Amino acid sequence: MSYLNIDAQALNTYDAIVIGSGISGGWAAKELTGKGLRTLVLERGRDVRHVTDYPTTNMQPWEFEHRNQLKREVREANPIISKCYAFYEGTEQFFVKDAEHPYIQEKPFDWIRGYQVGGKSLMWARQTQRWSDFDFEGPARDGFAVDWPIRYADIAPWYSYVEKFAGISGNKDGLATLPDGEFLPPHEWNCVEKHFQQKVAGKYKDRHVIMGRAAHISQAKPIHFQQGRAQCQHRTICERGCPFGGYFSSNASTIPWAAKTGKMTLRPNSVVHSIIYDEKKGRATGVRVVDANTKQMTEYYARVIFLNAAALNSNLVLLNSTSHRFPNGLGNDSGVLGKYAAFHNYRAGISAEYDGNLDSTTDGRRPNSPYIPRFRNVHKQEMGFLRGYAAGFSAGRGSRSDQSGVGADLKESLLNPKLGGWYVGSHMMGETIPKESNYLALDASQKDPFGIPQLKISIAYDDNDDKMVKDYQEQLTEMFTEAGFKNIRVRDSHASPGLDIHEMGGVRMGKDPKTSMLNKWNQLHAVKNVFVTDGACMTSTSTQNPSLTYMALTARAADYAVKAMKQGLV
Amino acid sequence: MAGALGGLISLPAWANGWSTETVQSTQHFLSINQADQLAELVETIIPVTDTPGAKALNVHQFVQKMVADCYDKTTQENLQKGLDSLDDLAKASFNKTFAEGDTAQRTALLTQLSKSTDTAQKDFYSLVKNLTIRGYMTSEYVMTNLTHYQFIPGHYYGCVPVKAKTASQPK
Repeated sequence: MSYLNIDAQALNTYDAIVIGSGISGGWAAKELTGKGLRTLVLERGRDVRHVTDYPTTNMQPWEFEHRNQLKREVREANPIISKCYAFYEGTEQFFVKDAEHPYIQEKPFDWIRGYQVGGKSLMWARQTQRWSDFDFEGPARDGFAVDWPIRYADIAPWYSYVEKFAGISGNKDGLATLPDGEFLPPHEWNCVEKHFQQKVAGKYKDRHVIMGRAAHISQAKPIHFQQGRAQCQHRTICERGCPFGGYFSSNASTIPWAAKTGKMTLRPNSVVHSIIYDEKKGRATGVRVVDANTKQMTEYYARVIFLNAAALNSNLVLLNSTSHRFPNGLGNDSGVLGKYAAFHNYRAGISAEYDGNLDSTTDGRRPNSPYIPRFRNVHKQEMGFLRGYAAGFSAGRGSRSDQSGVGADLKESLLNPKLGGWYVGSHMMGETIPKESNYLALDASQKDPFGIPQLKISIAYDDNDDKMVKDYQEQLTEMFTEAGFKNIRVRDSHASPGLDIHEMGGVRMGKDPKTSMLNKWNQLHAVKNVFVTDGACMTSTSTQNPSLTYMALTARAADYAVKAMKQGLV
Repeated sequence: MAGALGGLISLPAWANGWSTETVQSTQHFLSINQADQLAELVETIIPVTDTPGAKALNVHQFVQKMVADCYDKTTQENLQKGLDSLDDLAKASFNKTFAEGDTAQRTALLTQLSKSTDTAQKDFYSLVKNLTIRGYMTSEYVMTNLTHYQFIPGHYYGCVPVKAKTASQPK
């Protein structure tokens, strides 16, 4: 019998295991297989293959039965996911339905998930701003979290590395708050956006309006053709999956690249239960996987494990990986696992109208918009709140028709719309402060359909966030007024945390094992062959969209992991 | 479906490429009579001129489908009641059924509905009108032949003179 066990063990043994195939898991798969490691990639959801599994990508507007409106029964059965802006008739297939994967909202939290190969990289909004030293040094300066163990210089070459492969469009703006990268040509501005940019530059030395850096191939390079990807076609239906590979997703880019090495085994429908810790060997030896279809548990083994399940689920996996050595979760000697979770504050917005530039308009569509980098508390603490906010901004013109009539008059009016005035709008992206009271834990009694304890989420806004909302509204109102925008309206959606889809932390990086989970290589301080490189690793959240940083940290950690393996350190 | 189409004399050439699957209703919650009234109503809102009207583009089927699949029971019942009352209103107003009225009579009746002080009546009309406009404007015929929808623009030009403007398009 022991012979058979050894045989089974050998069959299930790889050099590396990657848990998750989303934006960071895809990069782990690409890097580890690229360096020659036989790598098992575990994905809890179903397989989604580039192009062939994008069922709505080529559907015309009239081909949707309900013109992209959700059916009543879908909306009623999914009150959480229905709040997400990207969830509609054409994208239903890529979002986790509320009932399928329950969790406990100790405080209201809208957890938006995509369980499939590619994860949320299929439906993301594709903004890829680099972080700067202001972001990595922020916690040490104002003491709102532990010090990051890395600085911008540590990650800058890795930003370049992933940008070149992924394809990032952007302009070199020379800003200290938002370092330049390896950019493909930027997207075009419209006249009113340009007008706003100039007005802001004229009034404020420290405020800038730039074109967002976005993961779109605005001009394909040989490296993109080698991936089978082509230039962005400006359809702006990205979240249905792009058959051109015009934007970056794991499905179009890293996963097929990893597959081409012949070193990757991709196993969809594999829900990771926990990581196995061997006390005699003093390291993790593998993972326990529940097959999503059969509910059978299987063990897989490897020398190195990359945990990329997405921030909250990576916390869940570690919390559920208990042993005599780690009764409170793998690597959790400090007791901080699951704590100091943070997110982004997207509650506030502003809109207005503009009656200039009426002789011009736009043509085509743009999958991107301008961006206002953080300008509060950058060089020193100056406000009555910690940290700051960035903002999205855009202007556009729509057409209007008089719909008051009926009959032939109405028809005539509908078919001959008049060009409306310009409208402008912005939304805030605020940094929330990682606090011990914002935590994730496992529920003692309630299990999910796979027999795994449900995640308990206890995350809320605080006074700091409210102050930031108010400041954003005041400052943007001032900037809009300066630009001559009229009929300015500010809003606060009072939405629950979660809809920003930027949940981070719980397995934070840090210099001191007593106050953090991961070292500067994203390696568990206490279990050196386990790396966590998704949103869970984030010590603080900054104001920038985090995905590019996950990609860079993952590539960097994979490079280190393979070198360390060769030196026998892992 | 076939019953509703029976009202058409013949299918014009532009309807050849029309995909019936996309307009079939999963739930027929309207009676044949209600469905017929709905067809008359959408055609009155957007009639045939030198281009097809709402009925020929099957917008009445679209309205029925949307209300059946996306709206709550109260709204569905209000649509049924509103359609049932259409002939009574027509008789009170011009002594004929709604279908028998001429364009001016039907138009006057709809104007009356839009100003009704009866909330249910006003809601009924505004629901049908809004969905009719939506169904018509997003129909394949209108989007391909009249508003020239571009599925793949391939570009974004930020500042073009107003004259060169093509209508902005939904997803």
